[in-house]
Amino acid sequence: MKQTRLWLLAAALLTLHLTTFTAQAQKVVDIIKKHPAYASCNYNIYPDSVNYIMTPPPKDKRPFYISHYGRHGSRYISNRKGYDIPYLMMLHADSLDELTPIGERVLEEMKLIMHDSEDRWGELTDNGKKQHRQIARRMAENYPEVLGGNATLSARSTIVPRCMMSMGAAMMEMMQVNPQLDITMDAPKRTMWYMNHQDDNLRKGYMTPEAKKAYNKYIKKRSGNTRLMEKLFLNPDIVEEIVDETQFSYYLMKMGLFQLHTHRYRDTYLIDIFTTKELYKLWQMDNALWYIQHGACKLNGGRQPYSQRHLLRQLIADADSCLRLERPGAQMRFGHETVLLPLTCLLGINGYDLETDNLEQLEAKGWWCSSVFPMGSNLQFIFYRRDPADKDVLVKVLLNEEEATLPLKTDCAPYYHWSDFRRFYLKKLAKYEKERSKSLSE
Amino acid sequence: MTRTFATAVTAILLSLAAICMHAQSVQEKLATDVNCAAGLHYLRPTTANDDTPAPDGKQPFYINHYGCPAAYYMEKAEAYDAPFLTLTKADSAGALTPLGRDVLHRVGLIRSDAHNRSGELTSKGVSQARELMTRLVERFPAVFTAKGYYSGRSVVENHCIQTMEEQMVQLSHLRQPLLSNITSSYQERGFMNPTDKVLDGERNNMTATVLYAEFFKRNTDDTQLMSALFSDTAYVSACVDASMLSLQLFTLAGSVQMTGNATLPPLFDIFTKDEIYRHWRKQNAWNYVTYGSYKPNGGNQPYMQRATLRNMMHMGDSVLKRYNPMIHIRICPQSVIMGLACLMELDSCGLETADLATLEERGWADYSIAPLGGSIEMIHYRRNRQDTDVLVKVLLNGHEAQLPIATDCAPYYHWNDVKRYYLRRLYKYENTRFTKKIK
Repeated sequence: MKQTRLWLLAAALLTLHLTTFTAQAQKVVDIIKKHPAYASCNYNIYPDSVNYIMTPPPKDKRPFYISHYGRHGSRYISNRKGYDIPYLMMLHADSLDELTPIGERVLEEMKLIMHDSEDRWGELTDNGKKQHRQIARRMAENYPEVLGGNATLSARSTIVPRCMMSMGAAMMEMMQVNPQLDITMDAPKRTMWYMNHQDDNLRKGYMTPEAKKAYNKYIKKRSGNTRLMEKLFLNPDIVEEIVDETQFSYYLMKMGLFQLHTHRYRDTYLIDIFTTKELYKLWQMDNALWYIQHGACKLNGGRQPYSQRHLLRQLIADADSCLRLERPGAQMRFGHETVLLPLTCLLGINGYDLETDNLEQLEAKGWWCSSVFPMGSNLQFIFYRRDPADKDVLVKVLLNEEEATLPLKTDCAPYYHWSDFRRFYLKKLAKYEKERSKSLSE
Repeated sequence: MTRTFATAVTAILLSLAAICMHAQSVQEKLATDVNCAAGLHYLRPTTANDDTPAPDGKQPFYINHYGCPAAYYMEKAEAYDAPFLTLTKADSAGALTPLGRDVLHRVGLIRSDAHNRSGELTSKGVSQARELMTRLVERFPAVFTAKGYYSGRSVVENHCIQTMEEQMVQLSHLRQPLLSNITSSYQERGFMNPTDKVLDGERNNMTATVLYAEFFKRNTDDTQLMSALFSDTAYVSACVDASMLSLQLFTLAGSVQMTGNATLPPLFDIFTKDEIYRHWRKQNAWNYVTYGSYKPNGGNQPYMQRATLRNMMHMGDSVLKRYNPMIHIRICPQSVIMGLACLMELDSCGLETADLATLEERGWADYSIAPLGGSIEMIHYRRNRQDTDVLVKVLLNGHEAQLPIATDCAPYYHWNDVKRYYLRRLYKYENTRFTKKIK
């Protein structure tokens, strides 16, 4: 009897789990159905309009300082390699007369895209500038206490032109909202150590044998796209020597979705040749890879988010220093997604510090990288206090302008006490750095 | 016969007098502002310029601005490292005089200020870029209206992008609402930073190389500087490339003004006035050989910028039907502005000669052509949209420039004359190239 009850309980829990899983999985599919760009993870697009409801701050507290790190806006693909992979495969197949009429149309579209992208690799698009103008305008309009009058606004970019251009577009718009702003801009090599730190030591160890095994197992049941091959090629079995089904489908999807960033090929034909389910499977595979590369993945020790330890320390140091000022204004930083994603994981924003060795759990637990780092994505730390004498400073974090949670206790969520914030993260960083120096000395 | 001889002598004397006068004027200029000696590293002053009123109530409606980057740290770290290492090595060998050790200290300060900043806009560059935009807006208020369109464009080079952004942010500060955009694309390098392998090949041909080497030698004497810096002449002969070190220190001396860091020590004081002048002459001649119509290398180097000039002509036509004002702020490398000024024959920039010794007396001085923050602006004027007699005036570094074209209203020129003259000049050169190709 006791055993039967236990079995029933287990079955109920399993059903519940599966239901949750299905519901979550359904949600990603729904998003992709509505916004196909979501399937391309780091090539996801920032929303055209943002209108989130904000929780009022505790009584008498007012915003007085903003610290920001944002990714550049929509851009062209960084180099031609990503496009060349499917393009050269198609050209090869075409030279063998192996393309179907649909395949020929796809190749024509690809040629147009290649032509449009030539000499623009990595360049910020008009859409990218618009995203930053809109984000800046909302920031200036939503926080007049911080950015009103002759407030100081310090903008810093990495030395990469698309980031500098994002900064320029944002600052021009800031001036339109408030021409009295005291804006400084720079793009120093001297601050690259925290603005765009890529930790080679951590990176080279991300794909451990365990991670590789789990990843291969995860993608095995999701790779391949026989339907697409049959649609584009007359004899898929013949072209398989020159067209790698999985690679081809992945890069073709990226090529199609990338056009949404340039505005010129909105609703492109290349997106329509994929079904939602296919896009969804490609997202799952990419999402898992991003998790292994930048998340707290147990399969490789879970330390990848610490690549952004310097940035986090700098954010805390900058804030500490600004807190001493009567009117610190804002600090905006313009960088990259390979910084923003691990920083989000390091901070544990919205549960992105998820630690697991089970890639199948990512989706169910809400680890969806596309929600973190679309082009134009940003983290904003809004600081509140009553007046400069108020020692109980509060901070609220916005991920892509939406209120976010931190893995900290608070009595006024989504506001957190700055003293708790800095204690928690400095301790976390110190623990890692101790462990790191120990392993380096060994 | 006697009269002919007397005339010839008078002409020679007059010519010599002119040479002395002009040479003196450059030296005088250097005496009042030694930073001019930095040539392309000289900072264009941001003071206001006067304007000749436009005829017949014509108003500016389009500004096509081709500008140099504002002040930036030199692009090659080697420019800071090389003299520092030479002097450090000499110091460790005990071969420096007290002045030499002081210079080493100064070079060290300049070098550490620039460390890991090569090619970046300096704080001086930021203020310079913003002030230049303020001057432009103050000078041509009729162009900067709410209905206008303002486009900032830069080559893909960080200090150029930074200059363009500082100017556009300043414009955004000065005018609201502002319809504007900024772009930096390799797609525009065809006319924003053109290249030409044929002209590259012609530039330093054997004749030009030999003649420049002779000119260099005639203007080089680093004995005084070496004896001031080094206590051991044997060490200098064995271990120091005196001419190279002198040039490196001279370049570094010119770079101090670019930083905006008032705590940095000057370096020009280690040179005598004569040394500064001669260094400048060599650098000026080098710039003339590279960008000017120097006869021994064919005199065609300015045509490197023919796509830029063609774009200027194209833009002039394409704005004719516009209802509202427009501005293009294009930031290019200094070499483009230098070449363009020579190609357009602005003021004395079109000088064609084989004699490097007479450049300054004939008004060809690099610091007045393409200094940091320098620009060539073609301003288009008309009474209204129906006015078919569009006038243009060209500003070289803010002052009204003279074009090699006849006009009845200088410094304004009739657009159709300007277009005809420049397009013919371009066609003529391109035809020569085409003919050579066929042969």
